[in-house]
Amino acid sequence: MSSLFAIEVPKWGLSMEEGTLSRWLIQEGDSFKAHQELCEIETSKIANALEAPSDGVLCRIIAQPGVTLPVGGLLGVGAQGEVSAADIEAFIASRGGAPSAAATPAPSTAAAPVKASAPEPQAKASQAVAAPVATPAPQSTATQIPATLQGQTDETQVQATPHALRMARELGIDLAKVTGQGRNGRISQKDVEQAIVAQGGRLAAPQLATPNRQPLRSTEDDSRLEATPLARRLAKQWGINLHDCRATGARGRICQADVEAAQRTYQPATSTVAAATAQPTAIPQADFEVQPLSGMRRAIAQRLQESKRNAPHYRLSLDLDLENLMALRQEINASIPQVKVSINDLLIKACAQALIRVPEVNVQYDEASQSIRRYSDADISVAVALPGGLITPIVRAANQKSIAQISTEMHHLATKAKAGTLKPEEFQGGTFSISNLGMLGIRQFDAIINPPQAAILAIGSSEQRVVALDGQMVIRQQVTVSLSCDHRVIDGALGATFLRELKRLVQTPVLMLV
Amino acid sequence: MNDYDVLVIGSGPGGYVAAIRAAQLGLKTAVVEKQHLGGICLNWGCIPTKALLKGAEIAHTLTHLDQFGFSVENPQFKVERLVQHSRDVSAKLTGGIAYLLNKNGVEVIRGRARVLDKGVVSVLEEETESVFKAAHIILATGARPRNLPGVQADGQRIWNYFDALVPKAVPSSLLVIGSGAIGMEFTSLYQDLGSQVTLVELNNRIMPVEDAEVAALVHKSFERRGIQIHTQTAVTAVDTQNPQHLVCTLRQANGQETQVSVDRVLIAAGVQPNIEDLGLEALGVELETGFIKTDAWGQTNVFGLYAIGDVAGAPCLAHKASHEGVLCVEKLAGVDSAHALDYDYIPGCTYTRPQVASLGLTEEQALARGYQVKVGRFQYQANGKALAMGDSEGFVKTLFDAATGALLGAHMVGPEVTEQIQGFGIAHTLEATDEFLQQVVFAHPTLSEAMHEAILASSGRALHH
Repeated sequence: MSSLFAIEVPKWGLSMEEGTLSRWLIQEGDSFKAHQELCEIETSKIANALEAPSDGVLCRIIAQPGVTLPVGGLLGVGAQGEVSAADIEAFIASRGGAPSAAATPAPSTAAAPVKASAPEPQAKASQAVAAPVATPAPQSTATQIPATLQGQTDETQVQATPHALRMARELGIDLAKVTGQGRNGRISQKDVEQAIVAQGGRLAAPQLATPNRQPLRSTEDDSRLEATPLARRLAKQWGINLHDCRATGARGRICQADVEAAQRTYQPATSTVAAATAQPTAIPQADFEVQPLSGMRRAIAQRLQESKRNAPHYRLSLDLDLENLMALRQEINASIPQVKVSINDLLIKACAQALIRVPEVNVQYDEASQSIRRYSDADISVAVALPGGLITPIVRAANQKSIAQISTEMHHLATKAKAGTLKPEEFQGGTFSISNLGMLGIRQFDAIINPPQAAILAIGSSEQRVVALDGQMVIRQQVTVSLSCDHRVIDGALGATFLRELKRLVQTPVLMLV
Repeated sequence: MNDYDVLVIGSGPGGYVAAIRAAQLGLKTAVVEKQHLGGICLNWGCIPTKALLKGAEIAHTLTHLDQFGFSVENPQFKVERLVQHSRDVSAKLTGGIAYLLNKNGVEVIRGRARVLDKGVVSVLEEETESVFKAAHIILATGARPRNLPGVQADGQRIWNYFDALVPKAVPSSLLVIGSGAIGMEFTSLYQDLGSQVTLVELNNRIMPVEDAEVAALVHKSFERRGIQIHTQTAVTAVDTQNPQHLVCTLRQANGQETQVSVDRVLIAAGVQPNIEDLGLEALGVELETGFIKTDAWGQTNVFGLYAIGDVAGAPCLAHKASHEGVLCVEKLAGVDSAHALDYDYIPGCTYTRPQVASLGLTEEQALARGYQVKVGRFQYQANGKALAMGDSEGFVKTLFDAATGALLGAHMVGPEVTEQIQGFGIAHTLEATDEFLQQVVFAHPTLSEAMHEAILASSGRALHH
């Protein structure tokens, strides 16, 4: 008897629609036990491991790491018993996808599915199946749940894998009474099975927890274990958790030899990816230089193209009188050595306050779920120009921060941006953006919205202008700002209300201090 | 808009290293220098003294040729040739700094810098003033020799280290004030070149920052060489009336005064930071005992203003300045791996004969901090390589914490110890314990075997003791 089954993207939550495969935890041809972790999948909310639905052999990998598939999308094919390559192809075809098309995630791994029709994987698969895997033991005893575990699980209070939750529901187990050994104490089905056995219960034979052939690998935080610097480095390189190493060094430290021993135990098969891409022959042409797009350039191109295409932009412009803001700045800078406030810092603060007062502008547009996310804090993304690109570090909760805090934070963020040391959380997200080209002498410009945000303020240069005030020509320090809004979520009157509030704050800056 | 992300004032071992690191991290960087690239270290400090010391070593070797079967009739010495060698080395290295800065894309701005405001620096070269804006300004202006009340260097007969580096002739007698690294090195150097040197120290022992046992050995060794040492003694006046010789008044702790006549006087009583004419007062920069006050990363109390090296406080050592420069820049650039400097574990080297090198706590300090200390000592007299070299005066002393096996301090005096101390530095940085260090295979025959033996001795396991 042989059968094939799909390994597919699970649905881990009501809102989950797709998942991105981060990495496979086993190789093609490896056999696995039920509930063994097969691969890691990330959604926009969580990263989690996919457990095997039953015992079997991974006879075909369809999706490569980095690929995003909808829920139910085919990641790979599992087998029980002898299967042929043709069977596998037929199975994949029955799932509605030509195998080669389904498995072309990234150009570098495009060569992989071509091998599928060759006889070699078949041999590999059947050989692996012959290993002591798919021999279901006769069902001799029924499952018995010890009283200590019985109960109802409050699913909002425990962290558990979907399999563990289902098992708990089916068997009437309160998972709060089970100790999880997964990442961050997450309870897996295996933990439940072990708890049942440990507390005197019995499991139906197929579910009996059996040790994996592969030694279990720890996922605990090992940063506090004592290890020599060399051992720590090797462990990191080889992906070995120090909890999996013996500590034979002096004073109980894990040393190089211990990590090497662990490495020998696991012997992860090294996969070689042959990426032979044909180089097109260059035809001599007129004078130009080919510059491949940098990662940053690509991200800018992709995101802003998407924004310009999808978000119906409209713009509102306004002149702000800066006399009072300049006076405030002058006074702050002259009196406190620790602080140097720029006009830009003050405008960040003013925008943050205006966003709190007009919260309908402090939003992100979630196109997929057709909803608006309204934020309680103003996280202001500030565009910083770099050689060959730009990045938008974020002043988080600028509404809650003092002007001095904003100034110091912005000073460091800008330097980190230039040194390329910003951490993802320092530039990903944000509820509103500011772009300032004033220092380059630009009087006024329109900016493209930074999705999924819904508005961006473009700031021109601060300059002396002759303006009419009470029937007199006077010279005032002024700046022109333009607000670009996504009309899908911010209507014209709303954008104008925000700008009016901003103007009030900038021209009466004392309002920002109270 | 800023002209630079980072602007460094001063191109000594602190400033030029900070500038290179900043440029490597992708920051637009400039360094302002009013005189020589490389600062005191390359031009008037560490490096040119080492060139002169090589001459002193040869002078010493010439007096011991017989031990190795040689004899030279009437060797000649021209001090101006030795000084020329020393200046040549400095010139060569200064050129190297210019190359390095250029290669890393650091702009060099010539002139005298002054901080006009937060983030604004003016540079005056001859009559031209240029103004630059920078997000981060690093002060690396260094320090200069300190004068004493009643004794002022005159560049002729009363010297500071600048003058001592370019002598026109070897003085017949020299009085050195101060037994820190600079005073000690010139004492040893001039004694070897033929001067009769008198060393005066205010403290109750010479080399006050070194371990007492090490200082005692050097004291004895210097006295054997004919150097006169006066501790707990101050030089209160130097009379320059007589054109033939200087008359120095020495006052001992008990108030007793004596007069010493010498050819030259060298003031080596420490340094003072270069904080004047930088615009620091107007900005309200905070000082601490005369030096600029900073946090662990060189940040002063003023926005965007940092200070590193001598100007930011003791120990006034080139390698401390370089290290602070790198840390300061990495911190402001957001490099995660930057670790604050542990000021107890900056190695110190003194190029006397015998050499002195040390790291970490002295035995006295370790005991005062309440450690239970395991002390290991090993004499170079029992080291084969040292005996073969005919240079076996000195010892290695190691201090380990009995509770944890951590290396608390290492103190070395003897042949080439300045080249060996970093072995202990590596051990300390990697947090090696005594047990680990006992397992290290030291090559034979080397001077460094004495380090191993001292480590073993601290556990009562020395093999050649």
